[in-house]
Amino acid sequence: MASTRSRSKLVWDIISYIVLIGLAFICIAPILWTFLTSLKVESDIVTRTMHYIPPSITFDNYVKLWNQSSYPTLVINSLIVTSTTVLICLLTGTVAAYAFSRFQFKGRTQLMLGYLVVRMFPAVLMIIPLFIVMRQVGLLDSTFGLAVAYTSFLLPLFVWMLKGFFDAAPKELESAARIDGTTRLGAMFMVVIPIARNGLLATCVFVAIAAWNEYLFALMLTTSTGSRTWPVGLQLMVGEFQLPWGMLAAGGMISILPVIVLFALVQRAMVAGLTAGAVKG
Amino acid sequence: MISTTGPAYSPPRRSAFDRYNPLRWIGELSETRYWMYLLLLPSALLICAVVIYPTLYGMQMSFHEMRLNRPGLGNGWVGLKHYQRMVTDPIFWVSLRNTAVWVTSAIALEFVVGLVAALALNRNLPGSKILAVLILLPYFLPNVVAGHMWALMLDPRLGVINDLLVKVGLLQGYKAWFADPTTAMAAAIVVEAWHSFPFFTLLLLAGLKGIPTDLYKAADIDGAGAFSQLRLITLPMLKTIIAAAVILRVIGLVNSPDLLLILTSGGPGRSTQVLSLYAFQTAYKDFNFGYAGALSVVMFVLLMVFAWAYVRLSKVNED
Repeated sequence: MASTRSRSKLVWDIISYIVLIGLAFICIAPILWTFLTSLKVESDIVTRTMHYIPPSITFDNYVKLWNQSSYPTLVINSLIVTSTTVLICLLTGTVAAYAFSRFQFKGRTQLMLGYLVVRMFPAVLMIIPLFIVMRQVGLLDSTFGLAVAYTSFLLPLFVWMLKGFFDAAPKELESAARIDGTTRLGAMFMVVIPIARNGLLATCVFVAIAAWNEYLFALMLTTSTGSRTWPVGLQLMVGEFQLPWGMLAAGGMISILPVIVLFALVQRAMVAGLTAGAVKG
Repeated sequence: MISTTGPAYSPPRRSAFDRYNPLRWIGELSETRYWMYLLLLPSALLICAVVIYPTLYGMQMSFHEMRLNRPGLGNGWVGLKHYQRMVTDPIFWVSLRNTAVWVTSAIALEFVVGLVAALALNRNLPGSKILAVLILLPYFLPNVVAGHMWALMLDPRLGVINDLLVKVGLLQGYKAWFADPTTAMAAAIVVEAWHSFPFFTLLLLAGLKGIPTDLYKAADIDGAGAFSQLRLITLPMLKTIIAAAVILRVIGLVNSPDLLLILTSGGPGRSTQVLSLYAFQTAYKDFNFGYAGALSVVMFVLLMVFAWAYVRLSKVNED
């Protein structure tokens, strides 16, 4: 009996490895292939016989993308929009998450539910009026306007995720500080936020990745190179040139590099926060 | 819980400097009973401005004539005109059907693959931490890049997947997956599943960690096999998380036209036209904001009805 059980465990371990390695390969293969493509010369990409390993390696695609297109400007725009979005979320969302996490008050449940339900509102329905309003107040086609628009779906997410991290922070230190005569304000900034700083960092990274990746709002609310972000630029390249696969691949690789690095750095805390929020919600 | 101004805090005497120190001032404000509302105010105002107001504006728009390219028509009240038009609009009905196909097949695929990955990861085998990072990665990649990666691999002239399928003998010649109405939707669903199945893995893995191992030990003693353990213990224990994950994915999939916009723009013909994409194109290609608003409102109402019914049903099943 015991031996059959350990044998069946071994069988399932082997099956698990096959499944995991197979899935990991499927997940990585498109990225790997894009990377290989970005290193190929155009004639090796468009060819009768498929080259699995580039016959000659070139960085031309990266150089061309960086020098001959507006890509550097777009990447800088994206950086500005992303950091502005994170800043707005930090300024308005941190205190809200703290309030939800630490206080009982009238309307708390309803408000929290409200912050969840607003994520259900269709983006398309919001974008049209946002477009009209932003045009009226002169925020259309500006990095700040786009960042404000991003908070529509990222701020509620930020608050929920951060609330989970605040909930997990022990309350004893805070009580001790209060007994020592610290104000609520002091307890929040000197005790609770420092304790939850890893969670705060993970939440910020998650919001930053989402803002960096966003396409639809950017497509609608920006019209010029002055504020356009890289996803829109990459998509426009498809029409501008005759499908320059090498440059497209290079652009894709450049723009997902920060995502991969950030994800690898904070993935454990980020995964914990995401699941905590979703499990409770 | 620190909620009232208890005896713990007594305001210290003020010096001349303190009276004008804003930090001290806010500090004292934080001891009042309105403090939490003050903390919530900035985010609530922002959400009202960028979510609530635009949504209400959009709903109101759906009862008005609003065509940016034909200002001569004015902005008058047209009542239910746009909604009546929808009933006889064949594209609306095609989009609705496609949305149903798109959402259900993508979620079914994502759930199955996500569950298999979560079960395998939950065995905590050596090396599974690194494999987990690789498996979760696609979820964090941008739609635009995910779309282009797959467009490149499925390209009718230089796609590596075509090449592999021909070499293995599954395919006679290279196939234009996104140009053929019979395969475009399926190909898009594969891309979407690749992009989002890690979301299910993430949530289901968290759920699996919460199941007491005693249950499985007891089942082992009773001689229950792996599949009956899955059916009788794992899935019932994960019910709430599955319900939450499915709802969140349905909302995401119904609302965002991004991936289909990048991959197919709804074509060929109308074979991958979904509701969100139709509303989007009505607004930004035809500049018919009124009809686009009406389409989005219908989409939103259908989504709410679905979410409500789904939550009710999964609650009923629990009892």
